[in-house]
Amino acid sequence: MTKTMRVALIGVPAVAGLALPLVWSHPFVLHIAIQALIWALFAASWDLLSGYTGQISFGHAGFFSIGAYTAAILTKTLALSSWIGMPAAFVLCGAVGLGVGFPALRLRGHYLALVTLGFGEIVLLVATNWESLTGGAFGMHDFGTFTGLSGDPLHQRQISYAIVAGITLTGLAVLLWITRRTEAGPAFRAIREDQVLAAALGINTTYYKLLAFTLSAAFAGLSGALYAYYIQLVSPSIGASSQSALVIGMAVFGGIGTIWGPFLGAILLFGITEALRFVGVVYNLIAVGAVMVVFVIFVPRGLAGLRLRRRGRVQRADRRAAESAASSG
Amino acid sequence: MVEEILEFLILGFVLGGIYALFAVGITLIFGVLDIINVAHGEFFALGGYALYIAMVVLGLPPAVGLVLSTAAVFCFGLLVYPLLIAPLKKRLGRRAPGPLFLVLTLGLSALMQNSMLAVAGGEYLKVPPAMTGGIDLEFTYVSNQRVLIVVVAGLTLLALFLFLRFHRQGMAIRAVAQNPAAAQSVGIPLGRVFTLTLGLGCALAGLGGGLIAPLFSVYPAVGFTLTIKAFAITILGGLGNLLGAFVASIIVAIVEALSVLVIPSEWQNAIAFGTMILVLLVRPSGLFGKKQP
Repeated sequence: MTKTMRVALIGVPAVAGLALPLVWSHPFVLHIAIQALIWALFAASWDLLSGYTGQISFGHAGFFSIGAYTAAILTKTLALSSWIGMPAAFVLCGAVGLGVGFPALRLRGHYLALVTLGFGEIVLLVATNWESLTGGAFGMHDFGTFTGLSGDPLHQRQISYAIVAGITLTGLAVLLWITRRTEAGPAFRAIREDQVLAAALGINTTYYKLLAFTLSAAFAGLSGALYAYYIQLVSPSIGASSQSALVIGMAVFGGIGTIWGPFLGAILLFGITEALRFVGVVYNLIAVGAVMVVFVIFVPRGLAGLRLRRRGRVQRADRRAAESAASSG
Repeated sequence: MVEEILEFLILGFVLGGIYALFAVGITLIFGVLDIINVAHGEFFALGGYALYIAMVVLGLPPAVGLVLSTAAVFCFGLLVYPLLIAPLKKRLGRRAPGPLFLVLTLGLSALMQNSMLAVAGGEYLKVPPAMTGGIDLEFTYVSNQRVLIVVVAGLTLLALFLFLRFHRQGMAIRAVAQNPAAAQSVGIPLGRVFTLTLGLGCALAGLGGGLIAPLFSVYPAVGFTLTIKAFAITILGGLGNLLGAFVASIIVAIVEALSVLVIPSEWQNAIAFGTMILVLLVRPSGLFGKKQP
């Protein structure tokens, strides 16, 4: 398959899928599509830290929550535009990620996962109990959507979709660029595979781990800010550990360690669970649990792995053909 | 003031008994299988529901109900290894598992929690106390149910320690915890030990869930917050260290109970996590843990 063909094969359906909600502008379709994209960026951010660099975070919803609250607080109490709120959430969460990354440097595997879980719970507690800043258990609302939107609700939703799609796809592109085109990508993978060996090879593991923490938290925070401006309601529950579990489920579904896999997995799984809402609200969460269990055991590389395995089969077939040609020739 | 402190100390001991049942199970499973059971709290909730079925639906006496509900959770726990963990282990072969087992048990947790929600609904089910009445200590009143919790939890944990120390199966569990390959080479069937360990660990959680049910009510997420706190406790005690988990449970519960005198109660939950993070900063392997490889 030539490169142009491959680009066309992936690009055409992707563009068509992205354009669909604008063409078929039913408010519900737009509503689902916007949230799916927000989750997609969130899942990709988790994957950068946990799938790609191997530093398991069980409290990623904490970063998402901080991003959402940052956006809400800046816009509500300081009346700042969303175009300031989003970069602010991005930068602040990056700083928080750096702060969490420092103590986490000394920890590995289980210990790291449990500490990040504790971090998520502390964010949840602060959001619930610091009432003067966060509005307590009821959260915050009435801070408005993306600045500059007006007109009828449908038009507003279409523009929101365009904004969210633009930002999340840019985020995905940046994450892919960092992991595929800069020296950080191989360094991240080396840390995941063998930290000691990576350090022995001269990779500054401290620097790259902190970089992964910072970037991952920043993008998780950005997705939180998008959520805040679109839904226009933030409450402590968006930082609950079940949200962290959900994003991990999405990433596993898509295929961890590929960045684009979790992005795609989140969109698909969110679509599926929203569809299951028509069956019953509980069943979508049962489905998420079932997907995690089944995929981890039987499809540990997720949807992305299906494609990789196929490529492996093609390669093996090519090799066999070459061998038989060599033996007959 | 002294009386208040004593009152909270007693509360701490009751809570400590529940924490200990829970955390010892987590750390036992970790020590033997090298897996953190994120779904542990769901077995705790399951114990509560099983007791509800035994006592309220079937009308059995409390003692029988408690034994049956614990046995039921034990049987559920026995299924985890052959149905979920063994297949993943087999597929992985010699490759590093990474986060896969954590994700697996996390998925099991979501699956079980929401299945219970679907079947039982989200209401808070009331379970009648196993014992009524109480002891009047002049400054405070301790209900018999609380005394029962401390006594049953203490006896169960003592029985567990004796079992691990002297029983053949218990010794096999300890052998596998020390060195699985060596244990296998002297003829200990690893699969059976793993299955039994998960059953035992989950049964401890189920017993805790049944004991606390009359005080807390039963609902699907009753165990999950406890799971997170128990992780903090097991880390303080050193992952895989049974005695450490027991001591840390009592300490955390008493500190939490006493903290009410100093800080607002809504921040109570932060104590365990905060202490855990502080301890890990100073000693990344926990208070009583072995040094991390």
